[in-house]
This record gives sequence, structure tokens and C-alpha cells, in this order.
Amino acid sequence: MNIASAHEGLTKLLEQVSGFIYPNEIEVHWSILIVVYPYLTGLVAGAFILASLVKVFNVTALKPTYRLALLTALAFLLIAPLPLLLHLGHPLRSWQIFFTPNFSSAMAMFGFVYAWYLMVVLLLEIWFDYRADLVNWGQTAKFPLNWFYRILSLFSKDVSPQAIAFDNKAVKFITLLGIPSAFILHGYVGFLFGSIKANPWWSSVLIPIVFLFSAIVSGIALVMLLYMVITPSRGKPIDMKCLDKVASFLLYAAIVDFSLEILDITHRLYESEESIKIITEMVVNKLFISLVVLQLLIGMVVPLGILIATKLANFNQELRKLLYFLAAILIQIGIFSTRWNVVLGGQMFSKSFRGLISYRMEMFGQEGFLMALTLLVVPFFILALLIKLLPPWGSTETLE
Amino acid sequence: MKKLPDQIIRISIIFTALILFTIVIRVFIIPEDLKEKGIFRTSAIKQELAKEIHYAGSEICVDCHEEQYDAKHNGYHKELSCEVCHGPSYEHSEEPDDATPEAPRKRKFCPVCHTYNLSRPTGFPQINPFAHNPLEPCINCHEPHDPRPLETPKECAGCHRSIATTLAVSPHVKLECITCHNTPEDHKINPRIVRPGKPTESKFCGKCHADGSSNREAPKIDISVHGENGEKYLCWQCHYPHLPEVD
Repeated sequence: MNIASAHEGLTKLLEQVSGFIYPNEIEVHWSILIVVYPYLTGLVAGAFILASLVKVFNVTALKPTYRLALLTALAFLLIAPLPLLLHLGHPLRSWQIFFTPNFSSAMAMFGFVYAWYLMVVLLLEIWFDYRADLVNWGQTAKFPLNWFYRILSLFSKDVSPQAIAFDNKAVKFITLLGIPSAFILHGYVGFLFGSIKANPWWSSVLIPIVFLFSAIVSGIALVMLLYMVITPSRGKPIDMKCLDKVASFLLYAAIVDFSLEILDITHRLYESEESIKIITEMVVNKLFISLVVLQLLIGMVVPLGILIATKLANFNQELRKLLYFLAAILIQIGIFSTRWNVVLGGQMFSKSFRGLISYRMEMFGQEGFLMALTLLVVPFFILALLIKLLPPWGSTETLE
Repeated sequence: MKKLPDQIIRISIIFTALILFTIVIRVFIIPEDLKEKGIFRTSAIKQELAKEIHYAGSEICVDCHEEQYDAKHNGYHKELSCEVCHGPSYEHSEEPDDATPEAPRKRKFCPVCHTYNLSRPTGFPQINPFAHNPLEPCINCHEPHDPRPLETPKECAGCHRSIATTLAVSPHVKLECITCHNTPEDHKINPRIVRPGKPTESKFCGKCHADGSSNREAPKIDISVHGENGEKYLCWQCHYPHLPEVD
């Protein structure tokens, strides 16, 4: 690139800027992929928390969603690091990062958090929970699937009551370990933003907590959506007792999440640090639709109203299903907007507090809209495959 | 001793294999200097040294191009290196006859720095490339090694465009620059060395703005008491004279 065309490019970029900014702020470096990343990990953590309600807190009504929640968490966890690796620019060199961790970098800690959560928590819990089924399928399935199940079961054959009792004990223990791990997984993502002290939009001790609860909300809502779509498509009736219970937990989590978000906003306004002027300007000019309309109004207040209404009023089953479905979809939109506002909002105002920057999303390319969309859709295909290979309804239902 | 459950043994085998795999990769496959904790890898220095050299640096040019170097050294372009315009010329410095550095003659090159832009410093020569002798290559009139305007600008706005633009919408628009700025003739020749003056006492502005002044349009104040700190500040330290606020 010669000097003349560089100048032309710069002039074009300057159209996206208003007021005064520092030269290195002209490009929004953390793009849509970095929005997708906390959204995906949030879904993982949330789905796992829902699953843990069954095993640790013995909420038996939620049992129909237990395995589905685990598989959902796995499907999304497998894709969760991809946005980061794509964003870094050389995905094929990523193995070097994995094997040469920098112990003093908070960002590099994701490798450990991820490995711990995938290997020690999720895969292990799924293995113990499915082991008896895997042994069973290894004997009944046709070639070559039977070998697939045998390998997955690590060639174990013991389905004696003692062995199954041990499996259950192990699942319970891992879930117990898994709750703090899920908190760490998503709390870590929030911590990463919250600890960037030069950025007033991110630097807040509340951020990890807000991230955590929004994660729980989005995860529960996703499993609820999946349960409502998958069960009828199998020709089975939806267990309303289970669905009502999921909706209740969704409501509780959403109330805590909403309160925390309002607390965060109130705290910022009352503290009125020097950044408040430019942040207000950014919220009013750049983030109005995504923050006030999508995140707070459509993504939180409306679904909260719907969920409270279904609890108070005596709606019939069909209407309840419809309302739950609507609320869960709106919550997904809301939580995605939350991630958008946190990640991009932190880069849309100048650290000089005197200018605003716009973010223009690419369409194609490694950090574009289509890539982000692909990363959001692929987990559903992985989930479909997982459900096909490891039916969450297990061998018990086939026996019925 | 109680026997370990069968499941634990199988899982342990898998985990041991994974941990061994990681250790093998880490110890045997990853190059030593990737594991260093420093800011950069030591082998990066070797890699950088092995790169092809493109730039010769400006010192070497003077050996053959003394005339141009002297002209540039004493002119306005003295802070530019030769290769800023002529491009990477290491090859030319090694084999002068085989490689010729580029010499930008097209019109679009000079405006990279000299197009009018508000953010450029006052006095930096700037033009509007669409209005300034369209289609004529810059080097037809300006010698790039010692660039000068063909004639000294008659208007102050020739160099102080942003001030002129501001002044155009200000109540001071009718004042000439030299009303307030005492400007020696040499400022036009050596603008950075010979600087124009600024009013040094409040009485100067008082000629129009003091109570009892003959200027009927100008807002009036009692300059003996105006300002919280009396005589401590000059008028233009609080009021921007090129665009004074109107109340």
C-alpha cells in the first residue's frame, strides 16, 4: 500500500468518528466475534447450572431437561473458543497458544478454565451419566455404531447395581464441582472485562456477577427453547410440570439479573465519574437501540412481565407454552444485546472522553457477520448430532 | 485394601494418556525459545537480521547526490528523509546503475501531506488540490528538494487558513490581522524564526472595548476592574480574539 491510498483509507475511516479520539482508537479491534464469545460461554454456563439443579438440588421436576442441558452445554462449549481463535487471525497456529501458556496473563487463563471445564467437568459428567446406556447400546446397536459406543464407554461392561450407584455418586460429585466451575467459566469472562481498569465502561467489580447471572438466564432460556422444540418434534407431549419449573427458575434468575443490571446503571449514574458524560452520550447516540430498546426493554422488561403474568394468572397450557416460547426468544435477543453493548460499547467512546467511534460490521471475511452467524448456528448442528448419537431420553424411554 | 472402581481406572488411563501427550508435545515438539518468558523470542533477532534490507538510510545518498542533499538540508523539507519520496533505495545504493529509485512526478503524491486539513499545524503549506492549478504536476513549479511558494503569499490566510475561516464568522471579521499582530516583513520569509507579535496589555483591547471608547459597535467594559484578578491576565488569555463570544 502506498502513502496516497493509505491516506484515502484513513479519510474514509474518519467518517465514522465524531469529536476527538486518539489515533489508535479509530479501529474497533474487538469485533462481533468477541461479542459471540461471551454469549456462547454464557449459554454453556447457564445450561450447566440448569442441569445441576436436578443432581445437586434434587429438583426432580426438571429431570426431562437434565441430559438435554448437558448436551447443549457441550455443543456450545466445543464452539466457544472458535471466535477467539478466528479473531486472533491465525487459527491454525492456535495449538502453539495451548502448549505455551503465559501464566501471568488473565487472557491466557481461558485455556485452563476451558480445559478444566471441558475435560474434568462436562465430559466426565456426561460419561458417568451415560455409561450404563453406552454399555447397553454397545451391545444392542448395529455395526459400526456398536463399536463407537464401546469405545465411548472405554470398554467398560459393568452394569451391576453397585457400579451404577457409583456412577450416580460420581455425577453428583462432579456436578458439585461443576457449579463453581461454571461460575468460574463465565465469571472469568466477566472478570476479563471488569479488570480492564483504563476503560470506565468495563472496569467494574459488578461485571463478572452481571455476566454470570445473564449467563444463567440465557442458558436456562435456551434449554427451555430446545426442550419446547425437540419434544413435540419427537411426537411426545411436553411435560408441563417440568416446563413450568424451568420457567420459574428462568424468572428468578432474570429478576436477579435485572436487579444487578439496574444496580450497575444506578451505581454509575450516582458515582458520576468523569466518564459519565461521554458514556451518556454514547448510550443516547450509539447504543440506544441495542441497550435501551433491545437489552432492557424487549430483552428484559417484556419477558419479565410475561413470566410474572404466567405465574400470577391462570392461563391454559397452550397459552403458557406460547408465552414461555416468546419470553425465551426475547431473552436470547436481550442477552445477545447485552454482550454486544458490553464488548462494543467499551470501544465506541474515546479514552479522551471527547469523541465517539462507530463500529461497522464486515459482511464476509474472518471477522464478519456471516462468520459470527455460522459460529452461532454450528452448535445446533453439533447438538443435533449429539442427540442422535446419545439420545437424552436414554434407554429408559425405549423400554417404555 | 478396597479395590478402585472399574470406571476410575478407565478414566485415569485416558487422563494419564492426555497428560503424557501434553508433556511430550511441550517438552519435545515446542521449540525452546517459544517457552521463554521474555518480551520476545531470542531467535526473533536472527529472523529479523535475515530479512532483506530495503532502505539505505539518508546518510549514504549525500555521497553522490551532494547538490540535492544540500538543497534539501537547508530547505523546508530538511526533516524528510530522501526515501520518504524516493522509496526504498538500498539496492540503488549498492548497484547505482542497475536499480533506479522511484521519483514521484504525479500530482497525487504531494497532496498526501499538503492537502488542506484543519488538523495540520498553522502555517503548514496547504492547498486545495482541485483548485490549485489543476492537472499541473507539482514539480513543474516547485523544486521538491527546496520547495517554496513561487511568490510570497500576500494574504495571511495563505498560511493561516484555519484562523481565517474562524475569523470569517466572528465579530472581528472587519479587523485586519496587522491591527492586533505587529508583523515584521521577515515573517513571510522565515515564518518560524521571525514571529508576529500579540497585544501585551489590556489597554490595547480597551481602545475599542473600554468605557468611553469612540467605537460604537464594540461591547464595553470597565477594564480597570474587569476580571476577577484585576490586571493579572491579558484580555486574550480568557477571550479568544479570532472568535470572541458575543453576549
